[in-house]
Amino acid sequence: MVSTWRNMSPRTRREALEGYLALLPWIIGFLAFTILPVGISIYLSFTEWDIMTDPKWIGLDNYERMFTNDPLFTQSLKVTGKFVLFSLPLKIILGLALALLLNLKVPGMNFYRTVFYIPAVISGVAVSLMWMWLLQPDTGIINTLLDQVGIKGPNWFWDPDWALPSVALMSVWKVGGSAIIYLAGLQNIPQHLYEAAKIDGAGRWARFRRVTIPLLTPTIFFQLVIEMIDSFKVFTEAFVITQGGPLKATFFYLLYFYQEAFENFNMGYASALALVLTAIILISTVILNYTSKRWVFYESE
Amino acid sequence: MSQNSITTPRHRWRNDWWLITRKIIGHVSAYVIMTALALVFMIPLLWMLSTSLKGRWEIFAWPPTWIPETFHWENYQEAFAKYPLARFMGNSAFLVVMNIIGELVSVPLIAYGFARLRFPYKKTLFMLMLSTMMVPGHIKLIPLYNVFSRLDMIDTYWPLILPSFFGNPFFIFLMVQYIRTIPRELDEAARIDGAGTWTILYRIILPLCRPPLTVIIVFTFLWTWNDFLQPLVYLNDFNKYPIAIGLAFFRGRYSVEWNLFMAATLVSIIPILIIYFFAQKHLIGGISSIGIKG
Amino acid sequence: MKFVRTILVLLVLLTPVVSAVEVSAQDTVTIEWWSVNSEEYSEEAQRALAEAFMAEHPNIKVNLTILPESGFQDKMTTTLGAGEGAPDVAFFWDTNWYPQALDLTAYIEADPDLGPETYFEGFWKTRAVWQDKVVGLPLGVGANFVMYNKDVFDAAGVAYPTDDWTTEDFIRIASEVADPDIKRWGGDRPRDAYRAIWNNYGAFLYSDDSTTVDGYFNSEANIAAYTWLWDLVASGATPTPADIEILGTEGTGPVDLFMAGRLAMATLNQGHMLNAIEAGVPFGIVPEPQVPGNERYVNAWSLTSSIWAGTEHPDEAYEFLSYWVGPEGQRFLMENGNLFPSIPEVLAEYEYADQDYAQAFFGVLELKQVAEWKNEHPCFGTVNRAVSDVWDLVELGEIGRDEIASTLNDYMDDAQAALDECVPRLGG
Repeated sequence: MVSTWRNMSPRTRREALEGYLALLPWIIGFLAFTILPVGISIYLSFTEWDIMTDPKWIGLDNYERMFTNDPLFTQSLKVTGKFVLFSLPLKIILGLALALLLNLKVPGMNFYRTVFYIPAVISGVAVSLMWMWLLQPDTGIINTLLDQVGIKGPNWFWDPDWALPSVALMSVWKVGGSAIIYLAGLQNIPQHLYEAAKIDGAGRWARFRRVTIPLLTPTIFFQLVIEMIDSFKVFTEAFVITQGGPLKATFFYLLYFYQEAFENFNMGYASALALVLTAIILISTVILNYTSKRWVFYESE
Repeated sequence: MSQNSITTPRHRWRNDWWLITRKIIGHVSAYVIMTALALVFMIPLLWMLSTSLKGRWEIFAWPPTWIPETFHWENYQEAFAKYPLARFMGNSAFLVVMNIIGELVSVPLIAYGFARLRFPYKKTLFMLMLSTMMVPGHIKLIPLYNVFSRLDMIDTYWPLILPSFFGNPFFIFLMVQYIRTIPRELDEAARIDGAGTWTILYRIILPLCRPPLTVIIVFTFLWTWNDFLQPLVYLNDFNKYPIAIGLAFFRGRYSVEWNLFMAATLVSIIPILIIYFFAQKHLIGGISSIGIKG
Repeated sequence: MKFVRTILVLLVLLTPVVSAVEVSAQDTVTIEWWSVNSEEYSEEAQRALAEAFMAEHPNIKVNLTILPESGFQDKMTTTLGAGEGAPDVAFFWDTNWYPQALDLTAYIEADPDLGPETYFEGFWKTRAVWQDKVVGLPLGVGANFVMYNKDVFDAAGVAYPTDDWTTEDFIRIASEVADPDIKRWGGDRPRDAYRAIWNNYGAFLYSDDSTTVDGYFNSEANIAAYTWLWDLVASGATPTPADIEILGTEGTGPVDLFMAGRLAMATLNQGHMLNAIEAGVPFGIVPEPQVPGNERYVNAWSLTSSIWAGTEHPDEAYEFLSYWVGPEGQRFLMENGNLFPSIPEVLAEYEYADQDYAQAFFGVLELKQVAEWKNEHPCFGTVNRAVSDVWDLVELGEIGRDEIASTLNDYMDDAQAALDECVPRLGG
C-alpha cells in the first residue's frame, strides 16, 4: 500500500484522501460496532459457551461437528437454500412488475401506492399472526374464499409440502416495500431516451427491453443482493408461525441458530453457525458481483 | 407532443379523439387491475380491522364474520387506556427523527465516496461494508450490549440513535447504485468550473438524489418504528419505550387480547402510511423531470 | 485492540455526559427489579407492592422495570451473558440462567421467617433448589388441567367428565361432544409430548442416569402414549394442528376456541380459569386423564425468582426478594391481583377458596409434578426437540397406527445423539 501511495500523483493522492474522509463515518462505526462483536463471535466459535459461565476453548470441534455430524445443520441449509431459490426470483420479478404499475402517471395513484405499501408496514409478529389466521386450513378466510369458487385449499403452514411456499407467499405479499426501491430507480431514467426510442419506432415492449431494463440494472442488482441476504436470513415467520415444522419443512438456518443460541444456550456452536452463514452469503454475493460486470449498466462508467 | 407533424384542424381533432380514447381505455384497465390487486393486498388488513372491532371472544365464532355484530369502537379507547400508547408513539417519533437525521448526514457522504472517488482498497472496503449486513443480528446482541454498557449508554436512547450516524449499509449501497447512474460529465463540468469534491456532492449530486433520499426517509421511519429487539435490550424505563414494545404488551402470558392488539397495531401504522403518502411525490418525478441531457 | 479502545474513548467524549454524577445521597440503595405484566399480577399491583416495600424499608429504593412477556427472555439472556446490566432481582424462569443466580442457602438459613417449609414441597424441590443450592424462591402456582364448557356439554347432552376419568374416556367423550358441522371440537391435546399424559403412561424419554434412550424412548409405555395421541387425532374430534398452534399459548390449548364454544374440553391453566369467570362462561375443571394403575401427574409450575450473582447489594436484594416472594408479597399480589400463592397458609386465605373451581384447582396441585423428573434432567428439552418429528408425523396422520413402534425406532439414533451431545454440556 505504501508503494502505491508513493507512486500516486498529488492529485490522485488528494482524491484518495478525500475518499477515506468520505468513508470515515462508516469506518468509525465499523470499528466500534462491528469489528468487536464479530471478533468476539469468531473467538466464541472455537469455544463451548453456555452464556452463563466462562467459555471453554475447544478448537475446531464446533466446525467439525457442523460439517461431519449434524443432520440439523444440513436440513436447515437445504430448507434455506430452497427458500432462496424459490422466493428470490419471485420477489424480484413481482416487485418490478408492481413498480411499473405504480409508476403509471394516472390520477389517484397516490392512494394505490399507499395501499400496496401497507403489507410491508405492519411489523413481523403482527403480520405473522395475521397470516396464521388467514391461512387456517378449515376456518381461515383464504380457504373459505377458495371453497366458494370450488377449490379445495391446501393445509398451508400445516402441510410439509405447502409450508415453505406459504412462507414465500407471505414474503411476496410484502413486495410493496421493494417496489418502492424500483420506483426510485425508474425515476432516474431520462425521459429523452424514451423519446429517442419512440422516434426510432420502438414499441412499448421494445422500449421496456431496450431502455427501461438496461438503465434499471443497477437497481435490479441492488435488489438481487439485498433480497438474497434477506432470504438467507428468513427467521420471524418461522419463529412465530411454524417453529420450523411441520417435519422441519421450514427449519430455516437462522431458526436453528436462534434455538442453539437462546434456547439451548450453545452460544459457541451458534457463533460458528452464524459465521458459516455469513460466509455462505458473502460467497454468493461475490459471485453475483462478479457476474454483474456483464449485465449491470452504469451510465457513469 | 406531435411537434414534427403538420396537422389540419380536422386531423388534429381525430388525433386527439383517438388519443383520449386510448388514454381512457388505458386508465380504466389500469384501475381495474389495481383495484383487484389492492383488494387482495388488503384482505389481511380488512380482517385486522374487523377483528379490532369485535368482542374479545367473538373473534373465533363459527362461521367467521367480516362485519361484527356490534361495533366495539371502545376497543380503541380501551387499548389506549391500558397502556400509554400515545406516549410510546411520541418516543418512537423522536427516535425516527434522530435516525433520519443520522442517516441523511452519513449516507450521502459515504455513498459518494464509494461511487465517485478513487482510492486503494475501495472494492475490498465495499465488500466489507456489504458483509456487515450478512452477519445475523442476534450474534452481536451480547457483545454490543457490552460496548454500550461501557459507554454508559444503557437506558438511554443513544444505542438506538448513534449507529445511524455511521451509515446503514443498506442505504449506502442503494445510494451508491443510484449515484453511479448519474452521468460523470456533470461532475467533470463542475470541476472545470472550479468546484471542489464536496461542492460537487452537495451542489450537483445530492439535488439529483431525491428518490433514494426519500427511500432512506421512508425506510428509516419504518424500521425504527417497528424495531423491537434493540429498544427492548437497551431501555429499562417504561416511559422511554417505543411503540413496538408497547404493542407487545397486548400479548400476555396466557392469552392474547386479539381485538385490542389489532386495534393498537392499526393505529400504530397510521403515521407510517401518512409519511409515505406525502413522501411519494418526491419518489416519483426525480431526475427525468429535471431533464438533463446526457 | 488498543485502537478499538481509543475509538471507544473517543465516542465517549463525543457523547454528552448523560449519566450525571451519581448523587449517592444518604445510604439509599437502589435495587433493580424486572418483571412482566400478567393476568396474575398487573403492572399497577407490582408498582404498589414496590411502594409498600419501600415504605417499610426507607433505605432501599426498588426500581421496577416491566417488560413484555415476549421480550423478557432475550433481554435477560443478553444482560446475564454480557455480565452487565442484569437486574438485582428478577424471575429466573429459564433453568439455563441458574448458574448466574446467587446461592441463597446462607440467607435462608439465617432467615427466621422463611424456609423450605414455607412453600409447597413440590415447588420448593423443583423451583428453588438446583444442584444442592437454593437458586431462588418460587412465586405463585400454576398448573395445566382440563377445563370443560358446561354449555357445550349440556347442548350436546353429554355427561361431564369426572376426576377419575381415563385417557380412554377422554377420546370417547371428545367424540361424543364434537360436531364437525358447526366446527366444534371435542377435546384438544397437550401441545408437547412428555407432559402430564406421557408421564401418566409411565413414558420417559431416557434413563434416569441420562445415559441411554434405549428401553425408554422405544418402550411399551411410550408407544402406548403415542398410540393414544394417534387415536385422538384419528377420532376427528380434536382441533387441527393449525388451530392448536394459532391459538395456544405457553403450552396450553386454544383458549379462544374454548371461550367461543367451539372446543368442549381444553388443556388450560389458572389464568384461563380467571378469564372464563370474567367472561361468564360456565365451566368445570378436571385433572388431565389418568392411565389406570399408573401414578398420576400434573404439569404444574411456580416461577423461580432470584437474585443475580453479579448484584452489588445482595443483602438489600434479599430483603426485597423475601418480601416479594414471601408471605407478605404473595398475599399482596393475591389481594391486589390474581396470584395464587405458592405458600399453603396464604393460599388458604383465597377469597373464593370454597368455590368448585378453586377446590378443583387445589386438588390438581396435590398430584405428582412432571417437573420432578424434568428438572433433574437438564437435557430433556434438547432431546425432546431432536425427536419432535415423531409428534408431527402422528399429528399430520402421516403414519399408521401400527407404524408407531417402528417410527420410534427410526428416531432412536437422533435421540441418543442429542443426549450424548448434551450431557457433557449440561450434566445428566
